[in-house]
Amino acid sequence: MSGRWLTRIAAALLFVSLAASTLPRLVAIVNNARTLLPLPYEARRERQMGPWYASVEKLRRELRTNEPVALITSRRDIDSAVFANYYLFPIHTRLFVGRNAYRNAAPDRTRPAILVAVNGSHAERTEYDVLRDRDLAAGPRIVAEPELSAPMTTFVLPLAASLDGPSPHTFLIEATLANPNHVSAEVRVTFWPKGLTRTIIIPASTTKTYYDFVYQLFGIMNSGWMRVESSQPLRAAFNFANRGRGDATLMPNAVTDATRIAPAPLHRDTKLFVINPKDTRATMTLNGESIPLDPHAFISRPIETLPTISGDVYAFVTTRELDGRTDFLWPAQ
Amino acid sequence: MIGVLVTLILFPLVGWSLGRRSIGEAFLFGAGITGSLLFIAGVVHVPLVIALVLIGVWGASTAVWQLRSGSRPPSMPYPRFATILMVFPFVALTFAAAITPLNDFDGRAFWVLKAKEIARERAIDGPSFKAVTLDPRKNHYPILIPLDGAVILGIAHDFDDRQLRWFYLGVLAALALLVRERIGRLVSPSAGAWCAALLVWIPQFSVEAEGGTLSAYNDLAIAAFAAGAFFELAEEVSRSRDLAVSPNRRDFGAIRFGLWLAFLVLTKSEGLPFAMVFLTVGAFIFRKRVASSAIVAGIAAVALFIWRTRIPPGDEEDIIRLLPTIPQKLHNVRAALAAFPRHMLLMPHWGLFWIAVIIAAALALRHDRRNATLAISVVAAMLAVYVVVYVATAWVVSDLIAVTADRLLMHVIAPSLFLLALAARRVEG
Repeated sequence: MSGRWLTRIAAALLFVSLAASTLPRLVAIVNNARTLLPLPYEARRERQMGPWYASVEKLRRELRTNEPVALITSRRDIDSAVFANYYLFPIHTRLFVGRNAYRNAAPDRTRPAILVAVNGSHAERTEYDVLRDRDLAAGPRIVAEPELSAPMTTFVLPLAASLDGPSPHTFLIEATLANPNHVSAEVRVTFWPKGLTRTIIIPASTTKTYYDFVYQLFGIMNSGWMRVESSQPLRAAFNFANRGRGDATLMPNAVTDATRIAPAPLHRDTKLFVINPKDTRATMTLNGESIPLDPHAFISRPIETLPTISGDVYAFVTTRELDGRTDFLWPAQ
Repeated sequence: MIGVLVTLILFPLVGWSLGRRSIGEAFLFGAGITGSLLFIAGVVHVPLVIALVLIGVWGASTAVWQLRSGSRPPSMPYPRFATILMVFPFVALTFAAAITPLNDFDGRAFWVLKAKEIARERAIDGPSFKAVTLDPRKNHYPILIPLDGAVILGIAHDFDDRQLRWFYLGVLAALALLVRERIGRLVSPSAGAWCAALLVWIPQFSVEAEGGTLSAYNDLAIAAFAAGAFFELAEEVSRSRDLAVSPNRRDFGAIRFGLWLAFLVLTKSEGLPFAMVFLTVGAFIFRKRVASSAIVAGIAAVALFIWRTRIPPGDEEDIIRLLPTIPQKLHNVRAALAAFPRHMLLMPHWGLFWIAVIIAAALALRHDRRNATLAISVVAAMLAVYVVVYVATAWVVSDLIAVTADRLLMHVIAPSLFLLALAARRVEG
């Protein structure tokens, strides 16, 4: 066999080995293009990338190009966020892996105020507290078996909060409301000092639980105190929890004014809290100084030592241990 | 539509401004010059729009003059069947590129995104490059191709990636034409035509989703610029034989070689070690004249380093810093050494191509030792560099190899095809 034929056979073999892989894929690419041809260009992208692209496209129409956007994603969905950034162009975006990365950037003035949550299936405009609530709902409660109070119809919860400190500190109230009666209970909850009211119905012989009582009831992240008024005696447990640290403290269900706080060690970030649970003005005396309080007032101030306090108010102290745990010093009732 | 016009007109015109050359070479040369000049303009803070206008005016005027007065490259009798085979995939790929939206990874995550940012900010160190974020954006990647992309997007007044689809298709077409013309000249027109046909039928170049011509990866451009540099070396070897016959002939091959190296440096991080390998090999071929190549490539490298000092680094690996960690990573050596042989045998990516190249290298060494040594040394040296990178990487080496080895093999396509052509000539006698 001549060299010329040897070359031709070798070249043909090589070519066939390449074409065997390329040709079917080329045909598939062309067929795919033919199916996309009747569609507008954006619809072709939607066909390629599915509902995820449709959600990004919807966002691009809704968002303003001159307002930067924070893309909040999880570690496993970073690629989706990178492509969301690509398709949202020319909107400036900044990627945050996890909600905590966003909240830790709070001191940064350039942190975008508009949030978009991105995962592998879709991208949606959202708010920080919605993401927080989603995370909290997905996680376990700190107190698995709450210690319920004796049955009561009306009481005050001296501290109610749904707040974030620096990551991972996440403060909330885990609540359990049990109706041991044979009739359903209508429970009216008022969040002070904002004065927001919600009514919940607890059917007979049932228990309702809340992983973040303030946010679930009122849809806000704030702090204050609560009055709980029930049509039937309820057994309840309210735990002030730090989800990030995994610790919780059972709160007293207060029924009267109280200011006598027993001496105890104070650590750091110590604060005195005073509430006026009445509908009228109150006066408290703090280290000999007379201070008037508006109805339903909720005040706090940093302290170094335990003060002398009296008056028709409810007072308590919080202090943070070196390990970050918050201790409560409640007044004797 | 504007994207295709800019791609087909601007880059070849700029390429022709430095002398009459084939359309494929002109396109690659034009893309390289445009991106490099804009990059240097950006580094010295000349407004990019002004720089682009100057490049366009200079390119158009000198190209027209060159095309009118310059000598036409001799036409070669390419075999018709090989040409038909070469054109066939392009018809299909052009149809697909016109209709199918970009759907790759790196192209959208890094390269085209950078092109959009440059087009918007009209600067190479604007807010998008200076923002210190945790975004995986590979901030220090060289940006020659994004600059070319920004030119297209800027002129089209459209940030949609559909404007750029033609550019990447153009790079493969230009590479195929360059291979056809240069191997045609250095070996035979028939060998050139068949090598070009083989090239466009290699799945990794034509249909592979990550790195192929329907993606927006830069490996195709690196392969093309490396081909330009390699053929300058091969031409010089051939010319040095002719010089024995006509010693008075002067040529600017070393400068052109340096320009190709500059394009490599400014296209991808691998371009710098690739340019150093080429300069080392080139020193044996151009001898003293390699200094001019080194100066041209050095200007690009210095510009790149200056630019990098002005912007914060991204999440890219700093291989130089990782090199001293190699003694602790010797467990990677085995996987790194096996990487390329394993991927060369991946039939869906390469068919029998690399087996043919290895046989061809052995045959070519016996027939044309100098040319074969040149091609083998470029391929071997570059793959050796990549093996060292695999050993030094902070990534899981098997993961890195899986996503990069086939694309890195693309970079040495020109010397590999050249070996095939040399062997075919040897067998045909």
